[in-house]
Amino acid sequence: MSWIDGARARLHLLFRRGAAESRFARELEFHIAMETDRLVREEQLTPDEARRRALVAFGGVTRHTETLREGRGLAWLGGMSLDFKLATRMLVKNPGLTLVAVVGIAVAVTIATVSFSVIYTLVEGKLPLSEGDRIVSIRNIDRRGGYDARATHLHDLATWREGLRAVGELGAYRLVERNLITTDGRSESVRIAEMSASGFRIARVPPLIGRYFNNEDERAGAAPVVIIGYDLWQTRLAARPDVVGQTLRLGDTPHTIVGVMPKGFAFPVNNRVWTPLRLNAADYDRGRAPGIEIFGRLADGATIDDARRQLLTIGQRLAITDPDLHAFIRSRVIPYTRAFIDNPEATWVYSLVQLLVTMLLVVIGTNVAVLVYARTASRMGEIAIRTALGATRGRVVAQLFAEALAMSGVAALIGLLGAQLALEQIGAAVERLRGEQFPFWLRFHITPIVVLYAVGLAVAAAVIVGVAPALKATRHKVRSQLQQLSAGGSRLRLGKTWTFLIVTQVALAVAVLPLAMAGVSAWKRIESAKSALANKQILTATLLFDRPEVSEARDVAARWVNLRAELVGRLQGESGVVDVAFASSAPSEEPNTRVEVFGAAASKVEGDTNTVSGSEGYAVGESRIDLHFFDALEIPILAGRGFDAGDLSNPSTGVIVNRSFVRRVLGGGNPLGRRIRDVSARRDPRSESAPVMPWEEIVGVVPDFPVDSSTPSPKIYRPLMPTDVSPAMIAVRVKGMPALTFTKRLRELTIVTSPMLRLDGIKTLEQALEDDSAPTRLAVLAMELITLSTVLLSAAGIYALMSFTITRRRREIGIRSALGAGSSRVLMSVFSRAFAQVVVGIAVGVTLAGVLDGLLQGGWTGRRGAFVLPAVAILMALVALIAAIGPANRALRISPLEALKSE
Amino acid sequence: MTIRAQTDALRGSLDLLVLKTLSLAPMHGWGISQRIQQTSKGVLEVNQGSLYPALQRLEKDGLITSEWGTTDNNREARYYRLTATGRKALGVELESWKRFAAGLEAVLRST
Repeated sequence: MSWIDGARARLHLLFRRGAAESRFARELEFHIAMETDRLVREEQLTPDEARRRALVAFGGVTRHTETLREGRGLAWLGGMSLDFKLATRMLVKNPGLTLVAVVGIAVAVTIATVSFSVIYTLVEGKLPLSEGDRIVSIRNIDRRGGYDARATHLHDLATWREGLRAVGELGAYRLVERNLITTDGRSESVRIAEMSASGFRIARVPPLIGRYFNNEDERAGAAPVVIIGYDLWQTRLAARPDVVGQTLRLGDTPHTIVGVMPKGFAFPVNNRVWTPLRLNAADYDRGRAPGIEIFGRLADGATIDDARRQLLTIGQRLAITDPDLHAFIRSRVIPYTRAFIDNPEATWVYSLVQLLVTMLLVVIGTNVAVLVYARTASRMGEIAIRTALGATRGRVVAQLFAEALAMSGVAALIGLLGAQLALEQIGAAVERLRGEQFPFWLRFHITPIVVLYAVGLAVAAAVIVGVAPALKATRHKVRSQLQQLSAGGSRLRLGKTWTFLIVTQVALAVAVLPLAMAGVSAWKRIESAKSALANKQILTATLLFDRPEVSEARDVAARWVNLRAELVGRLQGESGVVDVAFASSAPSEEPNTRVEVFGAAASKVEGDTNTVSGSEGYAVGESRIDLHFFDALEIPILAGRGFDAGDLSNPSTGVIVNRSFVRRVLGGGNPLGRRIRDVSARRDPRSESAPVMPWEEIVGVVPDFPVDSSTPSPKIYRPLMPTDVSPAMIAVRVKGMPALTFTKRLRELTIVTSPMLRLDGIKTLEQALEDDSAPTRLAVLAMELITLSTVLLSAAGIYALMSFTITRRRREIGIRSALGAGSSRVLMSVFSRAFAQVVVGIAVGVTLAGVLDGLLQGGWTGRRGAFVLPAVAILMALVALIAAIGPANRALRISPLEALKSE
Repeated sequence: MTIRAQTDALRGSLDLLVLKTLSLAPMHGWGISQRIQQTSKGVLEVNQGSLYPALQRLEKDGLITSEWGTTDNNREARYYRLTATGRKALGVELESWKRFAAGLEAVLRST
């Protein structure tokens, strides 16, 4: 066990340094005492003489102590700890530089770490099941796109089961949504996994209570059974031990509970209710079956590549037997968790994204490095003296590296904290927005590998920030450095690189500022819209009608209309309900359609991103609404009229548009009486001869509602016909209570009306807007942070350049003032280069922003280029001015006498 | 035997002497130096100061351990003791030293 003994001794020596030193002192004292005794005893010397001789015989005590210290491997530690002590001192001594560097690097680390954590979780997500990495997903992909090839899975399943030997067993599932109604009458909308009995065997998780499905359960017409998850059992069924055999209703069908799955089991996606998959391929035409997902566990000893090869062979066979369908279809095997991300077969795309995000750190790091280099110039004396005293180049570089590492370490810590906060926010948002759609194994948090990544970033930043400038600064010979030192100036120069960096930095800051300003105003718009909505006590939800699998279309429409009317009747009977209205989709989630304007060429509207040339028309949001929808939501009619019963005549001929439509599609003016026509059918490749839609007249104008998260978008409203079917947005306005408190009652009334009516995503309008704008707000936040660090860095760059100039030209400034030059002349002559760089930077930045604004048709400045571009130029000039005040003051304070004395 | 191995062997001789001395009984630093001198009948005189770095090196390598104890005349002293690893290492070192010495002798004799 020598290495354990050795390690223990080493650790002891390393960490108990004080103890080790005192131990040696005691041992030394003992040794000298023994030797003195011996000399007194054997050579009859006096005690004093004996002690002297003993000390001489021992040799230099200091030298041996040093040897001992080195032997402990502490020499480097002594150096390192000194470096860090010095580093901390330097950081505190230069608070400005430290602040800029830490903020800049922290922003980069936060953004890179969040991105890394999310991408790593998505791409490398592990299924928390026994040998979960051996579970694979098998799917057909339509190479042409546009056709959901999952419709072929049901028919191919039998072929795959037979021919795919590398996969032991195949399972299948699909997700359906139903109302889950327990005997106490409570209901909620759940996503049910209709899963084959084999699915549970593949997951290898035994039920906690009861049993799995068996083949009998999968037979069409068998008694309806259900398996529930642990949490559901606990919360909705009071954790009753005799739960097996009880019933619960899914929609209007009672199901017998046959099993409870253990805690944490949510396979295949994020499910807590399972019913048997009862689809029979014989009931459907090939390629027209309901879409299902196929998965399986690799057979013992088989690899995913074996499965791929076999699947290829099967595919070639299918292509011969069914050439029409399989000509464009390719079968794929991928790890199960990859089936839930875009581009599962090209995960290098994610690595590329991560690389680009990491580049942000390199950019910021390089900028900080330049600042550090400029500061190093003022420390050339210190470095030269250290070198002259025997410090190697490595030691000097190590010290500067330690300084940079201390800085980037602090920044990485802040960055990790920021990332943790951001990930919590993202996790909460995903949970709220996606809920049961979001795979149960994907959870974003700071894992050891994320910390490792952040540490890597910190070291990389320290290398860029510390080592590069250090190497450059220690390139010259010591002697010339010392000479320079006595001459009172620095030999270091800030050459073309520096000029380029300052100009680029200023230009970038100026270029991104308009977008940052637009971001701030977008944010403010969202906030004000939210507060406006908060006063409206409106609850919205999607109302769906779970039609049975096989049913006659006409019958469904009629039933749906009746149920809807019945629900409205019940709601209106409630005290506190002021109004109920329907629309075809939630505000801000309107699907796009395309319209053309009578008598206007599409291209005439200048600078409109929505314009697609020629007959393709304008992309606008479309919603069909109840006649009294605007009244119910208290949206004022700005011009013209609202809908009335006359608009229900078929086909409808009147439309209402929002203000954005008037401004952006019609280009202003009086919209009333102008006519538009739906041309979306022309773009649909499936319709061979596009039907010509009738012209519709604009009869009213409403404000933009709700204020869209990014830019207000043009919308048109058409009347909702009584025969329009599911799904629909229901809006209930209440009074005398917070809108959310009505949620429970709304659910109850819906279920009482029919268990087949289902409510999804119940929230207030305010919440809806908040959810909708979450990605925008996150993007705005990230952008503001980047902009802030860019502006900070350019200010710091200007400051450093000026300080550096003064250090170098101290003597010249002294002579100039001695010869009687006024303050302004001195400043002009000294700082003309910095001024020129800032001016060029601003000019380039404004040009860049202008070009971007032009390309994006006003998108970069929010269509206020004439105001925004000069504003950012002035802002940047102010920032530069503020950064220059300190150095300028210092330049003016240089007294001619002192400057010349140091000669 | 290469040149490099030779210098290693020469440098290792102090370690070897210390290990051999400690194989008889646990001992403090001064005792070790005295014992080497006595056993070699005064031929080998250990530089007393350089003994301690050697002891520390051996301890770091896990070949010996040490603890405080009291001498006969009631002084506190650090006693060094051979570990099992050290005992094994001593065997190996002795073998290699013997080989080295034999080689050296053969060369010296031939010239």
